Amino acid sequence: MKLKASIEHKPNIPTASMADIAFLLIIFFMLTITFEVDKTQVQLPKTTLRYEIPKKAAYVSVDPNGRIRVSDGNSQSSLVSAADEVLSMAATVIATDPQKTFVVKSDGDVPWEKVDEVLDALKRAKVRDLRLLSDQRTVDDL
Amino acid sequence: MRIERDRPDDEIPTSSMADIAFLLIVFFMVTTTFTATRGLDFALPEDDDNPPVIEKEESVLIEIFPGGNLVVDQNPMELGEIIEYLKPKLERNPKKPVIIRPDIATEYRYMVEVYDELRQGEEHGLSEPINISVPTQREIQSFWY
Repeated sequence: MKLKASIEHKPNIPTASMADIAFLLIIFFMLTITFEVDKTQVQLPKTTLRYEIPKKAAYVSVDPNGRIRVSDGNSQSSLVSAADEVLSMAATVIATDPQKTFVVKSDGDVPWEKVDEVLDALKRAKVRDLRLLSDQRTVDDL
Repeated sequence: MRIERDRPDDEIPTSSMADIAFLLIVFFMVTTTFTATRGLDFALPEDDDNPPVIEKEESVLIEIFPGGNLVVDQNPMELGEIIEYLKPKLERNPKKPVIIRPDIATEYRYMVEVYDELRQGEEHGLSEPINISVPTQREIQSFWY
């Protein structure tokens, strides 16, 4: 009697859904990605209270050496020589959007004098929504 | 006799789709930076042209010196003691302005520390948020007397 040859199974890994999973992840990353407008490396002060800062906010950063960088929230931050330039940038931004959020990103060890100049410039430019960027204070910091 | 015909493959080749997708994932994962986008909101006066006139005697003055040394109404104080000191004063007048005045050489983080502490007044048992004011050097020179 002739034996029927057993049915041969072709080894196959089901990869049809792989692309679905991958595209789902891509969509997640595309939605959550925010391109940093300011890459200044600073050691932020720590606070217990922290609130979410809206996207597209304008940035004024002060690095540990007291150098000031500004960004209108759309383009990369650029170095300015004096706080007066912060005033002119802020005034331009406020003229187009009076409710624009401004974020002060300053190193914690910078003397108050520097931050004071920046805050004064922003006050004079009539900035209404101002935030101080900070890190979370934990129980270890107390 | 059955004629075996070469049937064309009716499948869409999707084997490389996952490769492309994962390449894009890797790109987004590498370029995504999770940054600190949280912070304190810093109250600014609505109209700078007409600053409210504050009598020095009516307000509480918190001076911050380099190294984080605090002097509240001429009394040296620790950060944790401020709210307790303010409580009886603010119970009489919840709108009493509390002025933070850091020395120009004081490190910025000490000012933020004090500001953060005062913002938590309600958590420490105060009935209303503290009326905090942080005048800039220019304002101090123009309006201080």
